[in-house]
Amino acid sequence: MQTSVLNWLDNTASAYADKVMFTDSNSTITFAEFNKLTISVCSFLASKSNPYSPVVVMSGRHIYTSACYLGAVRAGCFYAPMDATMPVSRLNQILGVIKSDNMIVDREHLEIAKSLDFNGNVYVMEDIIDFPVDNILLDKAVSNLNETSPLYVIFTSGSTGVPKGVITSHHSLMCYIDAVSKVLDINDSDVMGNQSPLDYIAAVRDIYFPIKIGASTVIIPKNEFSMPTELFETLNKNKVTALCWSVAGVELPAKLGAFDIIKPEYLKKLCFSGSVMPCKYLKIWQEALPDVLYVNQYGPTEATASCTYYVVEEKVNDDTVLPIGKPYENYTITLLNDDSTATAEGEIGEICVSGPILALGYYGDVERTAQSFMQNPLNRNYRELIYKTGDLGKWNEQGILEFHGRKDRQIKHMGHRIELGEIEETAKQITGITDCCSLYYKDKEHLYLFYVGDATSKEIVLHFRKVLPAFMVPRKIINLDKLPTLPNGKTDMQTLKTYFK
Amino acid sequence: MDELMQILEELRPDVDFENETALIGDGILDSFDIVALVGELNDAFDIEIKPNNLVPENFNSAKAMMALIEQLQDE
Repeated sequence: MQTSVLNWLDNTASAYADKVMFTDSNSTITFAEFNKLTISVCSFLASKSNPYSPVVVMSGRHIYTSACYLGAVRAGCFYAPMDATMPVSRLNQILGVIKSDNMIVDREHLEIAKSLDFNGNVYVMEDIIDFPVDNILLDKAVSNLNETSPLYVIFTSGSTGVPKGVITSHHSLMCYIDAVSKVLDINDSDVMGNQSPLDYIAAVRDIYFPIKIGASTVIIPKNEFSMPTELFETLNKNKVTALCWSVAGVELPAKLGAFDIIKPEYLKKLCFSGSVMPCKYLKIWQEALPDVLYVNQYGPTEATASCTYYVVEEKVNDDTVLPIGKPYENYTITLLNDDSTATAEGEIGEICVSGPILALGYYGDVERTAQSFMQNPLNRNYRELIYKTGDLGKWNEQGILEFHGRKDRQIKHMGHRIELGEIEETAKQITGITDCCSLYYKDKEHLYLFYVGDATSKEIVLHFRKVLPAFMVPRKIINLDKLPTLPNGKTDMQTLKTYFK
Repeated sequence: MDELMQILEELRPDVDFENETALIGDGILDSFDIVALVGELNDAFDIEIKPNNLVPENFNSAKAMMALIEQLQDE
């Protein structure tokens, strides 16, 4: 039985030693070289860190980043990845939650690391990846790990304005990777094209398909996503066969007309997730690449990236609405009503998920963990935790799950989940804003901020760019004399929605 | 040029479009900016930016974008 992802890495490192594991725009790394790096990072780190403690890794889109993640894991720790391109105040918020003693940073981002509110040790990646191997430390560090040890903490938007750190265990990640690799039929001849930032949940497949199965991953430079023909050229040059992308990423080349010029010739599998797929774009993919396996995946970070999947076998039309399908292996879905009773057949209820894939909770936040991960109210006989996703769903007549929107004000935008409450909290930090409401115009994918006060839209955007990631900056900013209200005094969001243009 | 600068300023008020010359190369504009920008430029200038126009050289600076717009208007 395998107790950690390191068992996987040990296997593939010996079975595929000289095969290329990761490729970035400048270089490649083989399985053996990658494994060696994780051992060096561990040898350096193990004497300086406590077991089960977080190691922050702030590193760019290159082949060494994942090696630092796994090096921290070898040292008996878990990794908390951070994207250095996020605003400094966001990074400081994350550091405030994770309270780590150790950070690994690549030299390129060292200056940023130095500017952060961080009192722990900062180690430069380039200085430690050649550290001499210490076998005694290595064995001792790994002996601390068991299946339920944390593997990583990944941060996501929180409605109170502070990001939440979702903790995932080795076991959960291994269950998910097992299940998704079967659905996508990933094997050692597959080449993945990585789109997701490496610190984001959607990258786990690009990182762990190589580690588990011996597939390779090409880390695509971020700016190629602006230039779709270059993007497809890169896929072809590297003979990329499989993509696990956000819906937003899949839409881009279709929206910008890339298929008129060039096609990804080697592509066999495309899994998309993160938001509802507008089928007018999927149709363009299907028409250009009819033999590709298309899989719609649904699920939150709290259930290890996913819950359900749907293999798209039909030819879609512009107005097709894809179901979210059936649960992956090791995932159980229950629909609940607001009063915690079981939802009747054919009716809409909140999608709740249980199984070994549930996260260990929110880092350093016992209270919120207890609210979100709770005893299944339908089970009075033994302990069974469920995670309430806040998403609404319905089983159709074929026993396939359909998605019916959100219970609360969380939205999906550009492949990321955003709490509209967090946008409003951020806006209220600006002195020239006395009242505000944020809404999402889904048809045009525009994030709106309606506000009262004398702040200019330029001031507002500059503030947002300073404190939040780019995908959370409102695209349309509308100044009003007052916000419309309902008889009970609450903001009238339906009236505000008529102001969308 | 004024109309272009106004569109750019509205899209990304945090960027110095007068002086930046590596908007794509340095990743200042991201893919979502480009999608929004292409739509707005097509409407505002009555042009059709084609996928083969989407190369860094055409979008690295406001000047390059203006040259692309003029070229497409002449076609």
